[in-house]
Formats: sequence, structure tokens, C-alpha cells
Amino acid sequence: MWALDQPYAPRADRLFADTPLALLAVLAVGVGTAGVLAELAALPPHAVRVVGVTAGHGALLATALAWVRVSSASGAIAVALLGLAAAAAGLGVLGALAYLGPALWVFRLAAGGQLTGLGLGTPVSLRGVITGALVGSGLASHLLVSASRTLGVQIRVDRVPEVLAAMAYDVGANVLTAECFFRGALFNRAQRRWSFAAAATVATAAYVLRYLVDPLLPKNVELVVGAVFYLALLGAINCWLLWRFESLVPGLVSALIFFAAYRTLGAG
Amino acid sequence: MILVAAALAAVAALVALEGTGPASLLRHAYLAPVLVAALKFGAVGGALAAVVAVLLSAPVVLPEIERSGLTTETVEGLVTFAVLGLVGVLSGVLWTRAGRHRRRYEILVMIQRTLADEATLDVSLARLRAALAGRLRVDEIALIAREGERLVVAGGDRVADGSLVARVLDTGESAFVGDAGGRGRSRRAFATPLVSGGQAIGVLAVERKGEISVGERAALEAIGAHLGIALENARLVSRQRRFAAELAERVAAARRELEELDRAKSAFVAIASHELRTPLTALQGFSEILALRRLPPEEVRRLAEVMRREARRLGRIVSDLLDLSRIERGLEPALCRVPLRIEPAIETTVDIFRQGAATHLITTECEPSLPIVAADPDALERVLTNLISNAIKYSPTGSTIRVGARPLDGGVAIEVADAGRGIPAEALSRVFEPYYRVPDAAGAARGTGIGLAVVKALVEAHGGTVRVDSAPAIGTRVTVVLPSSGGS
Repeated sequence: MWALDQPYAPRADRLFADTPLALLAVLAVGVGTAGVLAELAALPPHAVRVVGVTAGHGALLATALAWVRVSSASGAIAVALLGLAAAAAGLGVLGALAYLGPALWVFRLAAGGQLTGLGLGTPVSLRGVITGALVGSGLASHLLVSASRTLGVQIRVDRVPEVLAAMAYDVGANVLTAECFFRGALFNRAQRRWSFAAAATVATAAYVLRYLVDPLLPKNVELVVGAVFYLALLGAINCWLLWRFESLVPGLVSALIFFAAYRTLGAG
Repeated sequence: MILVAAALAAVAALVALEGTGPASLLRHAYLAPVLVAALKFGAVGGALAAVVAVLLSAPVVLPEIERSGLTTETVEGLVTFAVLGLVGVLSGVLWTRAGRHRRRYEILVMIQRTLADEATLDVSLARLRAALAGRLRVDEIALIAREGERLVVAGGDRVADGSLVARVLDTGESAFVGDAGGRGRSRRAFATPLVSGGQAIGVLAVERKGEISVGERAALEAIGAHLGIALENARLVSRQRRFAAELAERVAAARRELEELDRAKSAFVAIASHELRTPLTALQGFSEILALRRLPPEEVRRLAEVMRREARRLGRIVSDLLDLSRIERGLEPALCRVPLRIEPAIETTVDIFRQGAATHLITTECEPSLPIVAADPDALERVLTNLISNAIKYSPTGSTIRVGARPLDGGVAIEVADAGRGIPAEALSRVFEPYYRVPDAAGAARGTGIGLAVVKALVEAHGGTVRVDSAPAIGTRVTVVLPSSGGS
């Protein structure tokens, strides 16, 4: 029993320990530079978007990897793959398949047992995956039925390639980086310091905030309120899924299903 | 859970089919599954069911708000949202608390029952741990209690230095660790002292992969405090029972001793009466002869000598009885101590016996230059008389009795030795007790059983000591040591 056998010492490390500040600084400088160049019309909007996606998602994924002590080179590779995918996606719909790159890189790291601290590469139960799928399906169904009626958005059936490209973006960037950082890294660290409720609140609040500052989110008040509602619900439930099944996979499944439904509404 | 989900879906379907809008009476049916979820799964279950119910109601209520604004119907729908949330959360919280209180009382009763059986601390702790493990719903549990300098551990081998339990034992304060290892869901550890009289007499430690809420920690602290008191009470009861058993044993022994003493006193009364009566009868008989008959002078002298001897014997018995009375009242015999030479005192006493009874050969062996002692002459004579009288009584006719004295460092040792039947080893320690007689001595000779008790009291009143050495069938030697007065 730990309380009898192991030496006890109060926790000394900080919540944000091991953050790759140098890499984050480089990404911030990149975003700033791109912004200035865009203002000077020296950079096309597509390039600014590439830099933004790379910096935003790259920062989340690199930080999550650094917090579980994956080498900084691996983090840099992940950022580079995100940048390449964002650039490729701008070239055409098929280019979005490049988003499988970061996903495969994370899968490789997980298979090597380097991401167990994030809840990846650990055994996952079928029950957990099914629960995640049910949660995602429930929220997605509600979104499709309720939001389409109340928020005035419609299901897009005429732009399937764009929807698939958006889904690829979710797989390799949006959902992957958000779940890795907000659940696998932030919630996981927080729940070792505080209660589940406090940790889930912090992680979910940060998760919602990340989307509120996303320039791609439509600035319609009703859509923002709807986004906050669904994202808060999805974030909190995904915290519980990680807590309950000790794996990030059920949360990834639920988020992917929910965002897939969201993409069909055409808000992305 | 599936039933609750199905019920919620059924209500949603019914509300949709009815199509009467946000104020449909069927909306109240959501309360049933929400309440069931709260009672079954607690506050979290109730809240989740309420959220699902609100989500299912939203497609009915929100579009209506968009279309018509805040009308009576839409407000009713919004109020339903609030009611569902309140019912789900409050019912769950109250039910969880009630369950927690019920478990706590069950645990308290269990503790009392477990400790009701008298058992060693190790066994009691093991039983308590087993019973608590089932009720507290934790992954690991340990109970540690101090027993003197030792720590009794149930649920582990030992308490490592610097461990959480060791810290709680040292500080006497509860400690919670949010991360005691484990991947994914972290392992929580909580240790609380078992308190009795303001002291930490042990620790209750639990570990669980998952939450140990503030409420649970408070409940564990209360259980720890109760365990401390219950353990201390069990210890006290055990100690009291041992004490009662010991007391009963002592009372029984004292009663046996008193009964024996009573029997000895009864025997003493009979013997003493006989002992007093014998010289009195002789005195009475001879005095009547002297009064009623005319006898020749030689016969008168012989009878007078007998009467004198019997009178002395009577006087000795009465003196012994008086001394015994003083001893029993806790007083020392009254002495009039003067510087005294031992050899003349021994010779005088031995002469009396030589004249009185020629049945034994009494020899004296006094070493020269014996130191002067400060003694009461009368008391010394009674000591010697008792010892020589005993030697004569308990040694065969014709045997030799040796009376001697030799100097010791700071005193004089007087020895009276016989070649009699001896005293059994088991009786040696009791020969100085008043009324005690060696079991097989009663038939061998007359005696009151107070002689040696008086000897001991007299010798000790002089600051001396007396001891008996004896070997059955070989003889007995009594040694009296009297301190010298400083001269020689």
C-alpha cells in the first residue's frame, strides 16, 4: 500500500512545468510576423491561415507532447507536419489528406509507448469506445435536430468534398490537438492536484476559450452561445470519459463524431 | 442507466408526438427518470439525466422562443428546465448524503460489534479492517495502532519511515494526497489519525483510484475519531476485565488465607487452653496437697519445685500471648535494654532446662571474648527458652542439643541446634507466622504455634535477625544474630 510503503513528499512541480517555451515563442513570432506581413499585403490570406493553423494547433500538440516528456524534436516534427498539412490543404480538397500526417505521427509515438501519460497507447476497452461513440452521436444528433432549427443553419449535402476536407482537418488537427492538450495533458495534470470537478472545470473552460478566440468561429451571437453550450458539454463529458476509461480514445471518438456532424452544418 | 435513457427518450417522443409546444403537460414526465437517476446514481447521475432531459426539451422550447419570444408557454418551458436541474441535482445530493450518513452509522455499529469481542489488538484491527474494506468502497485500506512502543499494522507489513502514515502518526493531523501514482485516473490516498484523549493512537489510511471527496474525507475523519475512542475503550475494558479477574483471584487467596488463619486461631485457642490448663491443674493439685496434707519437708520442697516450674511455664505462655497481642496490633514488644553478656545468659537458661528435664543432653559452646549486646535480659531469656524448648520437643529423647554463641562482625550469633525430625522445606518460610505449626508437628509435641513468631518479634525489636536452617531427619539449627552494643 502506497501510504505505508512509499515516502511521502508534498508535490513541488508546477501545473505548467515542462512547457516548451522556446518553441511557443517561435510560433508566436511566426504568427506575429505573418500578421504584420498580411497587413502589408505582402502575404496572401491563405499563407496567414497556414501560419495560424500551424501555430495554434502546433502549440497545443507540442505542449501536450512536452508535458509527457516526449523529445522536443518529436514536438517540432508534429508542428512541421501540421504546417505541411495546412499548406497542402490550401492547395485543394485532396491536399487535406495531409492532415493524416500529424495523426499518424501521434499514432506512431503512441504505439512506441511514449504517450501513455496522455491516455494514448494504453489499453482501451470496447465499452469505452462505444460509450464515446454514443456520447458523440447523442450530441451530434441533438446538434443536427436542435441547432439546425434554432440557429438557422442547414445540413450541407451539396459540398461533400469540403465536408470531408474539414473532417480530415478535425482528425489531424482540430480534435487531435484539442483532446491531446485539454484532456490528455491539462485535465490529466489538474486531476492529480485537484478534484475531478475542479480539474474538469478548468480543462473545459480552457477548451471553450480556445474556440472562442478561434478566428474561424462565426461571430454570430447565437452561434457563439450554441458553440459554448455544446463545447462545454463535450469538454466535460470527454473529461469524464478519460477519467472513467483511462484512455483518450473514447473522447477522441466522441469529439470526432460531434465535429463531423458540425461540419455537415457548414459552420466550419 | 439504460432504463433511464429509454424513459427519457420515450417522454421526448411522446412530447413530440403530442405537438402542443413547450407547455405540454407531458413535460412533467421528465421528472420521473431524472428522479430515478438521482436516487440511483446520486448527484452526478441526477444532473446528467436533467441535462439530457433539457437537451431533449430544447428543440421544442428554443424554436418557440425564437418565433414568439418570452410568452407564458415558453417561460413555462424554461421553468421546466430549471425544475429538472434542481430536482436532479438536489435529489441526488440529498440521497447521496443520506446514503453516506446511513453507511456511517452502519460503520459505527459495526465498529462497536467488532470490538465487543475480547481479542488481541492484532486480531481486532484485522477484523475492523476487513469490515471497513467492504463498507468504505476503497481499493486499499490499512489500520495502524500503537501498542506501547510497537506499531500494529493491519493491511501491510510495516510503516516505512517518511511515509504518509508515519507523517500522520507524527503530526496527529489528517493528510490527503491527490496523486499517489497510477496512470489515467490518479490514485488518491487519505490518512486520518485515530484519536483518543487528544493523542494519535493510530491511523486509518485508505486509497482509491478515483475521487475521495471532501465529504468522504470528513466522514473518514469522524470514523477515525470514533475508532480511536472505541479502541481505547476496548483496551480499557480488556484491562478492567484482567484487573477484575486478578482482583477476584487475590480476594479468593485472601479468603483462603483468612479461613486458614481462622482455623489456626481456633486450633490455637484449643491448644492454648490446654497449655494453660496443664500448669494450672498441676498448681491447683499440688497446692491442695500442700494445704490438706501434712508432708515431710523433702516432699514439700519437691512439690514446691514442681509448682515453681509450672508457674514459670504459665508465666512464659502468658508473656508470649501478650507479645503476640502487641505484634498483631502492629506494636513492637516492650523492651528494657541494658548491656548484657551473652555467655551467662545462655548458661543460666540452659541450667534451668538441665535441672528440669534430663531427657536430652544440652551442651553449650560459647567462644571467648564475645561482644556485649544491648538486650532486654527477660526478652533474651524468653528467646532462648523458646528455642531450647522447641529443640527438646522436636528431637528424640537422649539426643544432644547444642547451644552456642560466636562473635560476628558487629554482633553475636547465638545458635540452637538439635538432631530432631527437621522441618520440611516448604514449611520453612512459614515457621515464623503466628499460629502456624508444621503439619506433622502437631502430633509430635504440644505447642501453641506462637513461640517462633514471638522469637522473631523480640529479636527484630533488638535490631537483630533470626533464621532457621533445617534438613529433614537430620536436624534444625536456629541462628539469632544480635547487634553488639560496642563493648566486649
